[in-house]
Amino acid sequence: MAGGNEVNLNECKRIVPLNTWVLISNFKLAYKVLRRPDGSFNRYLAEFLDRKVPANTFPLDGVFSFDHVDSTTNLLTRIYQPASLLDLTRHGTLELTKPLSTTEIVPVLIFFHGGSFTHSSANSAIYDTFCRRLVTICGVVVVSVDYRRSPEHRYPCAYDDGWNALKWVKSRVWLQSGNDSNVYVYLAGDSSGGNIAHNVAVRATKEGVKVLGNILLHPMFGGQERTESEKSLDGKYFVTIQDRDWYWRAYLPEGEDRDHPACNPFGPRGQSLKGVNFPKSLVVVAGLDLVQDWQLAYVDGLKKNGLEVNLLYLKQATIGFYFLPNNDHFHCLMEELKKFVHPIEDSQSKSSPLLLTP
Amino acid sequence: MKRSHQETSVEEEAPSIEGSGCGGGDDNMDELLAVLGYKVRSSDMADVAQKLEQLEMVLSNDIGSSNNALNDTVHYNPSDLSGWAHSMLSELNYYPDLDPTRICDLRPIQDDDECCSSSNSNKRIRLGAWCDSVSSDSTRSVVLIEETGVRLVQALVACAEAVQHENLSLADALVKRVGTLAASQAGAMGKVATYFAEALARRIYRIHPSSAAIDPSFEEILQMNFYDSCPYLKFAHFTANQAILEAVTTSRGVHVIDLGLNQGMQWPALMQALALRPGGPPSFRLTGVGTLSNRDGIQELGWKLAQLAHAIGVEFEFSGLTTERLSDLEPDMFETRPDSETLVVNSVFELHPVLSQPGSIEKLLATVKAVKPSIVTVVEQEANHNGAVFLDRFNEALHYYSSLFDSLEDGVVIPSQDRVMSEIYLGRQILNVVAAEGIDRIERHETLSQWRKRMGSAGFDPVNLGSDAFKQASLLLALSGGGDGYRVEENDGSLMLAWQTKPLIAASAWKLAAELRR
Repeated sequence: MAGGNEVNLNECKRIVPLNTWVLISNFKLAYKVLRRPDGSFNRYLAEFLDRKVPANTFPLDGVFSFDHVDSTTNLLTRIYQPASLLDLTRHGTLELTKPLSTTEIVPVLIFFHGGSFTHSSANSAIYDTFCRRLVTICGVVVVSVDYRRSPEHRYPCAYDDGWNALKWVKSRVWLQSGNDSNVYVYLAGDSSGGNIAHNVAVRATKEGVKVLGNILLHPMFGGQERTESEKSLDGKYFVTIQDRDWYWRAYLPEGEDRDHPACNPFGPRGQSLKGVNFPKSLVVVAGLDLVQDWQLAYVDGLKKNGLEVNLLYLKQATIGFYFLPNNDHFHCLMEELKKFVHPIEDSQSKSSPLLLTP
Repeated sequence: MKRSHQETSVEEEAPSIEGSGCGGGDDNMDELLAVLGYKVRSSDMADVAQKLEQLEMVLSNDIGSSNNALNDTVHYNPSDLSGWAHSMLSELNYYPDLDPTRICDLRPIQDDDECCSSSNSNKRIRLGAWCDSVSSDSTRSVVLIEETGVRLVQALVACAEAVQHENLSLADALVKRVGTLAASQAGAMGKVATYFAEALARRIYRIHPSSAAIDPSFEEILQMNFYDSCPYLKFAHFTANQAILEAVTTSRGVHVIDLGLNQGMQWPALMQALALRPGGPPSFRLTGVGTLSNRDGIQELGWKLAQLAHAIGVEFEFSGLTTERLSDLEPDMFETRPDSETLVVNSVFELHPVLSQPGSIEKLLATVKAVKPSIVTVVEQEANHNGAVFLDRFNEALHYYSSLFDSLEDGVVIPSQDRVMSEIYLGRQILNVVAAEGIDRIERHETLSQWRKRMGSAGFDPVNLGSDAFKQASLLLALSGGGDGYRVEENDGSLMLAWQTKPLIAASAWKLAAELRR
């Protein structure tokens, strides 16, 4: 057993840069310690270990960020903007009372960080850094949502927080752009954040709130069945079936199984999205992620409902490849993201429905 | 002199090294991990990877008891991945025997300053986004969105700008406008603005706060009220006490030099904790430093603490020291008993006033060093209110006190009378930051990052505060009856109390640098 693991660890180390391997292994280990076998979670130790960073209300590397707490819902969001959009009329103060632009469209990405519904925060360093990179590379404004986490707050808390964030963003004058003063919203997230994005989009569709697109970065889905990818990749690239099961048990209502629609949206208990005005989706799948069969099933599900979806399949990518910009997958992702949120500017190279990378 | 914000941007991923060029092993931190909050030298990466692999193996072989062990153990400084992984391996009693290559990799465990603090405070590296956000060089702006009373803050900052440019007639007109706007602004923003407006007015008309001297007993009442109404002082005392307790676990005697005795509110809890020590309490000697005007109060306090000590069975001694300035303290004023006592020096918000006189902080820290304490506990406001440019100080303070006032607003359990008094207490600080200058400006708060440099230069090394202190401080906050938004954050071995995501108070611990301890 130990020998088998050693082989896997070595192979995994060959696939990713060493510092990426160290980063993700560190998380994997820490998270293992935090997940207690009885289903409880060592939240204090988790908060102690999480590396957090403050917002930068002065521009740093072209991006500035600040935090906002909604007084009614107590929901914290961290907003990132390109420094170039700021109206720095006064030394020391930044006024955000006017639209981002009255001429061009500035996409606003509502971002839900990952962490399997349990870990991380909007001010976690890994996510703060990722959001800042999204701003500079993709030319977007990012609103990162600090949603309530499991096991303390189960389904549907994260979705409710996501929905409240969407409503809040949509109603901000200072997030409007274009010559018709709209807030141009995309929903995005990695891992559990991707799952949240999907569910918030479903609600938005029902309630007539316009979302321009969904970006799901190796989204967290699952089901009762054990798929091929789960079986063959179990324990090989940082993730185990066992830990996935733990997180679902922590998030889903007690007593529920993984065919609950939150986990398995196109499964036996899933709902149809036929004929609804669901946003177009960009789904990014890491080829070494054991959850991929569920993610591919999700893509299938969207297609079967007649919905527009682009799949970016990164064959040799592991989970978390986007935390460090030291690999091709990262750059490929950013290119696709840019095209997805700036479709008008890029009519030449329209993103193809299926993209594979070696 | 207006400063453009674009000018202050710093390269995110290239660390700028102080005293460039002559790098070598210490300076090759992995930049990409550094931005994510982890300090790993590139040259150590493979070693850290190996440790993580070893941990992975141990955990998968014996998941149940390892998981428990690691949950119960105290963790330190997660940014130092190498040290963290190493201490977990030690905790799990993992070190394969008879493997000569592995033995060479082992670091000497007893010398924890090598293991745990891979950061040499004398060669601190600026790590881009992660550390620079509290750099003293850059201006932190106040962000105005429509919910925050934009016109009010606009007017405040315009007024401060006018003061900066010595356009006093404009400043005068603006400060009146602020007053009017503040009066109609509800909530924390209105209150903060009122204090800042008053401070600006005093500055404009040159009515310095020192000429409105306050009755010391009223000062006392304000402080005690502040202690009771919100968690800041409680957190400060609690965290410092945790660090002290950890440093004195096996001591037969403990001697604390408290650089700011005030009402002695920190000490009953420490004494009770000592009394409950398994195996019996050490003796406890407290030397409290206070001001001349409070001489009688100090003696009375000593007497009350003695009574408490007697009641809980702790052998106790007290002496009071009065001085006008902490920098006047000399090592020979303190009777130390190194053979029988562990010496602690404690400073809760007492260091920053010393910055009002050049050379004083260096002298004070030299005195502290000279008495050879085993541990020095320091709690300070996490803010830079000591910058050279008035307008920068003003903006920083506006941001800081807005957060503080917000947190008071949220505490539903605080009766409004107590909150008003807490606001007055903080208002006096605002007055001092904005309207005072020179020796009178004592609220010269500096960030932990700045204090780290000072402590490092003075010959101190950091002592990491651990996950147990973190957890207990978090629990304390949850029980304090304050609002929901308080958070404890770990930052490179220190603990900070934040309101929402904004750190407001930083607690750290120090020991004499390695070479001095020998």
